[in-house]
Order: sequence, then C-alpha cells, then structure tokens
Amino acid sequence: MKKYRKVLTVLLLVTFLALVTTGCGGDGSSDTTVKVGVILPLTGSEAMFGEMEKNSFEMAYEELKAAGKTTVGGKEIKLMYEDDQGKQDVARSATEKLVNQDKVAMLSGGYSSACTNVIAGSAQNANVPFLIVTGSSDDITKQGWNYVFRGTAAPASKYTGAFWDMMEKVVDPQSVAIIFENTDFGTSSSKGFRTECQKRGINIVFDQAYEHGAIDFKPMLANLRSTNPDMIFATSYVMDASMIVKQMKELDFNTKLFVGNGAGYTMPEFYQNAGAASDFVASTSLWVPNVTWPGAKDYFEKYKQKFGKEPDYHGAQAYATMYVIADALGRATDLTNAGIQKALKQADIQTIMGPIKFEDWDGFTNQNKPNTYVVQWSKGKLEVIWPEDVKSASYVYPVPKWSER
Amino acid sequence: MEDAWIKFGQTVICGILLGGMYSLIAIGMTLIMGVMKIINLAHGALVMVGMYVTYICSTNYGIDPYIGMFIAMPVLFLLGCLIQKYMINRLVEVDSILPENQVLLTVGIMLVLTEGIRLFFKSDYRSVVTSYSSNTVFLGDMSISVPLVIGFIIAMTFTFLLHMFLTKTDLGKSIRATSQDRDAAVFMGVNSSKITMITFGLGAALAAAGGSLLLPLFYLFPDVGHLFTAKSFIITILGGLGSTWGAAIGGLVIGLSESLGATYISMGYKDVVGLVMFILVLLFLPGGIRSLVKR
Repeated sequence: MKKYRKVLTVLLLVTFLALVTTGCGGDGSSDTTVKVGVILPLTGSEAMFGEMEKNSFEMAYEELKAAGKTTVGGKEIKLMYEDDQGKQDVARSATEKLVNQDKVAMLSGGYSSACTNVIAGSAQNANVPFLIVTGSSDDITKQGWNYVFRGTAAPASKYTGAFWDMMEKVVDPQSVAIIFENTDFGTSSSKGFRTECQKRGINIVFDQAYEHGAIDFKPMLANLRSTNPDMIFATSYVMDASMIVKQMKELDFNTKLFVGNGAGYTMPEFYQNAGAASDFVASTSLWVPNVTWPGAKDYFEKYKQKFGKEPDYHGAQAYATMYVIADALGRATDLTNAGIQKALKQADIQTIMGPIKFEDWDGFTNQNKPNTYVVQWSKGKLEVIWPEDVKSASYVYPVPKWSER
Repeated sequence: MEDAWIKFGQTVICGILLGGMYSLIAIGMTLIMGVMKIINLAHGALVMVGMYVTYICSTNYGIDPYIGMFIAMPVLFLLGCLIQKYMINRLVEVDSILPENQVLLTVGIMLVLTEGIRLFFKSDYRSVVTSYSSNTVFLGDMSISVPLVIGFIIAMTFTFLLHMFLTKTDLGKSIRATSQDRDAAVFMGVNSSKITMITFGLGAALAAAGGSLLLPLFYLFPDVGHLFTAKSFIITILGGLGSTWGAAIGGLVIGLSESLGATYISMGYKDVVGLVMFILVLLFLPGGIRSLVKR
C-alpha cells in the first residue's frame, strides 16, 4: 500500500508539473514577434539534409533582416526550429508543440515525405498554414488540404518533367528497370514513373524496392543484370546511391543509361563516395547552381564560403522557402492563421528556385508548377544536359562501357 | 542453369563474408552481455566511434583502414574501460537498481556518444576511399569484392584469437568464470571489477575492429550505430546469450539468410528475413545456438 501511495504521489506531481508548464506555454505568444515553426530532421540519419536546410534558412533570414524585411507590422519574424529526427511520431509531437504551446503563426520545414505528411495533416486539422520545403510524395498536396502549401518541391511523380522530354527525343528505351528505396518518396516516384512507362508502352523488365542502408546490393543488381534493360531508373538517398553505382562497376554491369531520381544522385557526397563510378550517371533535378534564375549562383557561392561545403537543391529549397515566408507575412493584412493562408495563396514571387505560385491543378492543391532538369555527372561535376536551352554540357548517350573508360 | 548456379554461389559467398564481420561486432556485445548480464545498447555507438577513429587516421594521416584499426582498437578499449569503471559500475554497485534499468544507462551513453560525434563531425556522410575499395576478385564468374574477403579473414582470425584467449590464458579463464557465476568467481579470488572492466574494453575493441573492417565497404555518419546495435542484438539472441561461438555462427547465419532473402525474395524484405529468423529462434529455440551444442 505504501508503495502505491508513493507511485501515486509521483504521478500527481508529474501531472501537476505538466499542467503548469503547458499553462506557461500558452501565454508565450507575445506582441513583438511572429513565430514561424520550422520542423526539420536535425538528428538521425537524415540530419545532414536537415542541417543544410537549417543553414540555408538562417542565411536567407540574415539577408532579409539586413534588408529590413523580417519586421512585419511592427513585429519581428522569429524562426523556431524543432527536430523531427526523421520519425513520424516525433514529427507529430513537434507539430503539436509548435501549434499548441508556442502558438506559431505558421509552419514550415518537412524533409522526408513520411514526416511531411504527418505535419501537413496536423497543420490542416489545426488550421495553421504549412509551407513545405522538401517532402514531395504526391498525396500530400492531393488531399485538398487548403492550409498546406508546396512551393519549392515538386510532387515526386513530376520530378521527371524535363526527363520525359529527353526520353522522347534522345533515349527512346525499349525496356527499363526500376529500383527504389521502400519509403514514401521512393514508392511515390516509382509509381509515377511506372504509369508514364505504361502510357508510353515501354516495357518494364525489373521492378524492385530495397531497404535503405544495405551494405551489399549485389543480389539485387545480379537479378537486375539478367533482365538486360536499356535503362535503369533509380530512386535512392545519398549513400545507397553511391553504393549501387559502385557495385555496378564491380559487377561490370553495363547499361545504356542510368538515371537517378534526384535525392541522392545529385549530392556532392555521391561523387565523393562513388568516385569514378559516378561518371555519366544522369539524374532528374529541381535545381542546379548554374541555373539561370537570379540569385542562384550567389546563394551557392555564399553558402560554400560560409559553411565550407557545397549545397544542393535541398538547401536551395529552404533558402527560397524563407523568402516566400517573408513575402507572405509582409503582405498579410492580418497576422492570423487565416490571414497568412490568404497571403500565401496570392503569392507570386521570383526565387532562386524559379517563380513560385500556389495553384490547383491535376488534382493538386496549392502546388507550385515545378521546373525540372536532367543533369549528368562528368568527372565530379554536375552538368545540366536538358532542357537544351539551359544546358551547360551536351549529354553522353549511350554511356561508355566500364571496360572502355 | 549455369547462370542460376553462379547467382547462388555469389549469394552464398557474399552472405557468409558479410556475416563474418557481423559476427565480430556481435561477439563484442555477447562478451559484455555474458559478464555484465545487461544488454549494452551503446554497442552500435562504440562501433561508430571506432569507425570515426579509423576514418580520422585514414583522412588526416593517410593510414590505411586495416592498419588504422589497430589504433582504433586500443582507443576503444580505453574508452570501454572508462565507461565501465566510471559509469556502469557505479550503477551495478547499487542493489536497488534492477539490471533492466541499468540498460537505460547504456541508452544514455549511446546518445552522448552519437551527439558528441555529431558536434565534431556534423551529420555528413563520410567514407574512406582506398585504392582497393572497389577491386574485385573473380571466382569463376562470381565477382567478390576484395575488402569483403580481407574483412572476413581478419574477422575470423580475431574470433579465433579471442577463443584462444578465453580458453588458454588465466585472464581469459577468469572472464569465463565471472560470466558463469560471479559470486563463485569472487570467492575463488577473481577481482571481478577488474574483470568486468577488461571485458567491456575488449567488447568495445572488437566493436571497433568490426566497424573498421566495414569502413572500406560502407560509409559513416553519427547515427550509423543503430544499424549495428540492432543487428548484433539479433545475432546475440540467435547465438544464445553470452556465447562467443554462438555469436560467431549466428552472425554467419544472419549474413547468409539476408543475402539469400535479398536474391530470392526481394531486397525490400532483406531485414524481414533476419527478423523472422529472430522470432522463430525465440519461439522454438529460446536458448539459441548454444542450447543446440549443449544438448
């Protein structure tokens, strides 16, 4: 009995403390700041991307501050970061904390599609505007959620816009193989690719998901080789991507073209780890530093100088998103959730990711129409090869065999 | 037909080679498990720290990972000894804290190690590129990567040396005695706190060795440890808690079944194969491989 009483006391104390702290949190919305919650994976296996996006947010914020654009209606914009650890349950509690305790005016962030989906759902329920940075699985903007906006990220199945154009004019494969990691992003993008293939009558000879973080991809690659496809379409995060091409080289496995679907295949780490095996690997991409949008090159140089590392399109997404946020908050007639939602809906702004407007099309809600590119690695440099009017180098197709390099 | 055999051979060989390295990491865990009677959930983090030591040796001083391993091992041995002496031992000495709760401390240690490394190295993915990283030997038509073969040979050598150490030396015998019955060992004059310290150090050093052997094949980031904790946990159960040979065989079994699963079922279900084996073992062979040997 005594033991139970002790437990009971502790329980009561904990409940009391919890009540007190949440009580304090409720009064936290002050008159001098507009709080913007940013949820990113700052620890866990996706932390590298979260870090890059946070750095880019901060960089953009400093620039905006210097230009006096971080003060709206006499209030200072304040970014409040929360870590989702790349886990859905953590993403949900982070969202709830920001919404209920910190009473943020709007939310942003969202790296992995799985987490973004969770944040979007909670934000919509609470009627808090959520501007997505990266999470790109199709269904997030297909739910008719009017408080969820996606500007800098394309729906996963639309990463391939420019690529299909190139397929028609150059590659024209008879058979393709699809490999993808079994996550929201991987499944969503391969689904889009599969439907396109079926529509165009391209034969899919191999179609398999894999578990992220494997050491040995050869079992899958050996199975893949025996189907002898003209082209391989792969969706992977960064280190899996380099493991796959390295092991293809080890197996002396040749195909006419290997195309990655953004993500891992455009990262500087891909080249650093895969080395020579990265040569001639093509990828779809949403952004490249030498793209013609104003400010893109400056962002790239400035980031590289400041953080000693090259950013890729993920960083650019965060950077551009910060500008969209400042623009919307600056235009909002009142800084309530509904007011900001309205301002976002009317956004029409030029960023380093191209023009951003939130439109309803093809079943998507508040989804910007993406600009996509096809890039190809050449001796450690990422060259734009399609669309032809913005290309920085000519494409190499079919790619030389491993033995002939 | 011919092709099918090549594929089968390749699957089996690669599975066993990779399994050899899993074994080495799991042996470290099982050794600590045997003596301490607690699951060390910081084990993967120790593997990760070991990998970072080897990584620094390789990138800053140009030391080959296979030689850097011999720097990582003593460093981790020391780290393991310190963790045991100044952290875990303090909890073990308090009777009112149940062993199940001592496990929580190892989770804390894991977090500190992971975030500490993140502080210095950021979350970037890193890898060591050596001249032989992507070399392969061809056995008939099967392509087998050189670092996999070297890693396997070194891992098996270490396993054998450890076996000799545990069976032939005084210190080794004391470790085994402590793991069988701590009280009896203490009565026989074994200094049990010294033994547990050395065992923890040894486990950590083996973890570092396993990690370093994987480095030329794999990559590195602060959270890579979870992967190894999970894997060695399954292997430890599979082998029978605290059994060195059980863990060695368990590692090979897991490596092999993952590889077969990846080739003949799907790479998406690679981990499922290992986990299904784990459940089957718990259901039908709760004592693990060790109980088979004892029968």
